[in-house]
Amino acid sequence: MDNQIQHTKIEVFNSLELIARQAVEGFVTGLHKSPFHGFSVEFAEHRQYNAGESTRFVDWKLYGKTDKLYVKRFEEETNLRCHIVIDRSSSMYFPVLNHPTPEHPNKILFSVYAAAALATLMKKQRDAVGLTCFSDQLELHTQVRSSMVHYQYLLTELEKLMKFERPETDAATDIAGSLHHLAEMIHQRSLVVIFSDMMDNSENQDLNFSALQHLKHAKHEVILFHVKDKNLEENLDYENRPYRFVDMESGEVVKLNPVEIRENFQKSAFNARTELEQRCGRYGIDYVEADVNQGFEGVLLPYFFKRQKLY
Amino acid sequence: MALQLTDATFEELVIKSEKPVIVDFWAVWCGPCRIVGPVVEEIGEEFSDTAVVGKLDVDHNPEVARKYGIRNIPTILFFKNGEVVDKQVGAVPKQVLVSKLEALL
Repeated sequence: MDNQIQHTKIEVFNSLELIARQAVEGFVTGLHKSPFHGFSVEFAEHRQYNAGESTRFVDWKLYGKTDKLYVKRFEEETNLRCHIVIDRSSSMYFPVLNHPTPEHPNKILFSVYAAAALATLMKKQRDAVGLTCFSDQLELHTQVRSSMVHYQYLLTELEKLMKFERPETDAATDIAGSLHHLAEMIHQRSLVVIFSDMMDNSENQDLNFSALQHLKHAKHEVILFHVKDKNLEENLDYENRPYRFVDMESGEVVKLNPVEIRENFQKSAFNARTELEQRCGRYGIDYVEADVNQGFEGVLLPYFFKRQKLY
Repeated sequence: MALQLTDATFEELVIKSEKPVIVDFWAVWCGPCRIVGPVVEEIGEEFSDTAVVGKLDVDHNPEVARKYGIRNIPTILFFKNGEVVDKQVGAVPKQVLVSKLEALL
């Protein structure tokens, strides 16, 4: 695997925009709607002056011309804080490839490129971006910043993720615990973009959903990229011969012929995905199915264009 | 094309209308109203078959403005069967108004 991100691949994202759908709290003026109604940037309406209130924002020109006392009200716009969250558990290093490339990536390489593209886009918009990686706990949680130095730092951290063929030890996943922890750590309303295969050791998927809900409850906008190799992980597209399947997180080995269980497996994979999609819909979380075979551009570009059309 | 409403015609054109109605309360001296005005005109053309779109100058028609407690302009009221069912204050993107109107159709 190349140990460096190919910059030409992510430069195309320089010309895109991603605008927060809900209000976010930033620290400088920007593209996104702020929850605050202030007296600053975008002139939105006139309101009748109430006796006793400050005369500071009275529209005096209007008063001079028409004798009407109105106050100018402005819509505050702000910049965005975006937290990119990457699941770096062992299962994300599937499929096991000798030389994964952006065209034929494994799940982690796909996520790294998508995250780099997102960071590039945010840098162009002057939005602040931070990176969080987790497996069975939070392993990295950077500040959100919009500076060029910080962007370079994020790319370096992302490149580190690409360096291992697989994590040295088998890293299990605790999606629920990590996301709960993250939700407690982010204080201002932000955009949280998660790249995960949503595979973990817990029997109970409800825990994962409650963690996602926790993020939504803290008023963050959440986008979940469900990263997977659709051919191998959902369709069980293997040859008709016995295989040894190794659980990348627990090391458990199962020997079987995939063709024999294909139908049942596809059915249960479909049910799991549908449930995830429906519950995300219910919580107002954007669910994006990210098949690594389509390449990160094939997933991100249609998604951004779809979002842009909504405005 | 948006209808020019007055105190005199409001009852007839808005309250008695069988279609959903949106009314833009505006004034000539108000900057944000000049942003919203053309948007309302566009919506009027796009929904000419299914909805009534009107504009009411609050300076010349104070009675209606007072009746509906219009203190901020631009304010857009959405009527259905003569009742106010939704309200939008301030300059907002066209899509916001269109989605509110579509919810009434």
